Amino acid sequence: MNIKEIINTLVSGLISGSLYAIMALGLTIIYGVIHVFNFGHGIVAVLGGYFTWLFLTKLGLGLIPSILLALVFMFFFGLLLFKATINPLLKTPNWEFSTIIFLLGMGILLENLALQAFGPRVKHIPAFFEGSLKIGFVRVNWHEISLIGIVLVFILILNFFLKKTWFGQAMRAVAQDMDGARIVGISITRIFGYAFAMATMVTGFSGILLGTKYYMTPHIGWDWMVKGFVIVVLGGLGSATGAVYAAFIMGIAEALATLYLGSLWVWPIWFLIFVTILLLRPQGLAGGRTL
Amino acid sequence: MTRFNPPALEIQDVDSFYGELQVLRKASLRLQQREVVVLFGPNGHGKSTLLKAIAGIHPAAAGSIRYLGEEISRTPSAQIVEMGVAYIPEARNLFTDMTVGENLRLGAYNRRARSQVAQNLAYVFDLFPRLAERRDQIAATLSGGESRMLAVGRGLMSGAALLLIDEPSIGLSPIMKRAVFGAIAKIKSARDIAVLMVEQEVEHPLRLADRVYLLKKGRVILEKPAAEINKAEIEQAYF
Repeated sequence: MNIKEIINTLVSGLISGSLYAIMALGLTIIYGVIHVFNFGHGIVAVLGGYFTWLFLTKLGLGLIPSILLALVFMFFFGLLLFKATINPLLKTPNWEFSTIIFLLGMGILLENLALQAFGPRVKHIPAFFEGSLKIGFVRVNWHEISLIGIVLVFILILNFFLKKTWFGQAMRAVAQDMDGARIVGISITRIFGYAFAMATMVTGFSGILLGTKYYMTPHIGWDWMVKGFVIVVLGGLGSATGAVYAAFIMGIAEALATLYLGSLWVWPIWFLIFVTILLLRPQGLAGGRTL
Repeated sequence: MTRFNPPALEIQDVDSFYGELQVLRKASLRLQQREVVVLFGPNGHGKSTLLKAIAGIHPAAAGSIRYLGEEISRTPSAQIVEMGVAYIPEARNLFTDMTVGENLRLGAYNRRARSQVAQNLAYVFDLFPRLAERRDQIAATLSGGESRMLAVGRGLMSGAALLLIDEPSIGLSPIMKRAVFGAIAKIKSARDIAVLMVEQEVEHPLRLADRVYLLKKGRVILEKPAAEINKAEIEQAYF
């Protein structure tokens, strides 16, 4: 073990950590506000990537316009999905359980629709930048540096949105005390709807970024979702800050496991950490804090 | 005549249920503008349920609720807030991971109040200097009395014309009780506001009130000017 290895591992951990962070934030927003775990999370991320690919290759749009269009698309897809399906479900008794099962079923449906529409073959989204940066013995792609930058800027914007806008504060209010939110005049279903739409868009964005670094198939969403699940549990369900910390911890753990034990050990190590956390600190790192 | 100066609140024959259990049975009461009315009664006889019905948090099953002459028994709670009704629950329902300042600002969430955040904030801090000191503190770390103050302050931030306060004194030390009731007395004298307060404790509220109602088994069984009723008479009804 030498300094070169350590630094390279940390850098690659930071890169995957930042991608996991943005992925986990979509999950956190939905769990934090609506208090249901979105089992359709993975396929939503994949759809973000597939729509970008579609606009890029079939409509011939540039990379940035394709991404922006896909984000708009995902927002309205989320809003529509909420209004048409989840909103009526919320009015039934036992809505928490039925919503979770519904989202799981919706995930499987969308996955298979994507399989029909796009086929099973692996797809990529091109990198944002070519070439790489070399500092001493460390070599990093410009693209990967840009991914870290994008995610950090995104986290700052999200934080500003949640803390400084009326809508963001209303989302936090609903997350922290639903009756309290009603009392100050917040319409819960309205906030649910826009939070769901926003989370769908954020999740779609995470899929786009993942698709530029790794690859996409209709099935890869389940892997992403399981990783997201471990991260939000480690961070403390519903806590945005906790999710971001947890994502970087897991990213670095993954890089270390790959380097010293081999990539086949990544999943066992993830779940070892997951189970240990549940046993020692079930409330997660952020300990019951909310959005 | 009533069209031009309607009562702040007019409740007629309101029924309310929790599942199969009927809590309110044809409850009726009335509040003039700028009037302070205290609703006494034993625990579990429907006092809080009545406030929740007015605020639209737990809508009434039957009957009519009019606020300034307008029917609101079927109106969504968000709109009721916007019309000028603020509900301060016994459970407080604060946003515990937010600061005192953020909690207060959210009290002004309704569109009417947003332009008056600064004035109302100054008013609340003047009323409860303790909240000004704790402005950047997380609400979860407040003492019982302080969080009660915050709940009242958040309600005032909405710029309401009708304040519904549920047991503001419950669980507080005598000093804190005095502080909270002192603030309500100030609100009464300074603001153009009607107050409907639910209480267990009799002495302080009786001094504040213009009129008193007694609620038992979901029915209003007595209505009197506060000056004509004494503590013994109210407490007798509890048993």
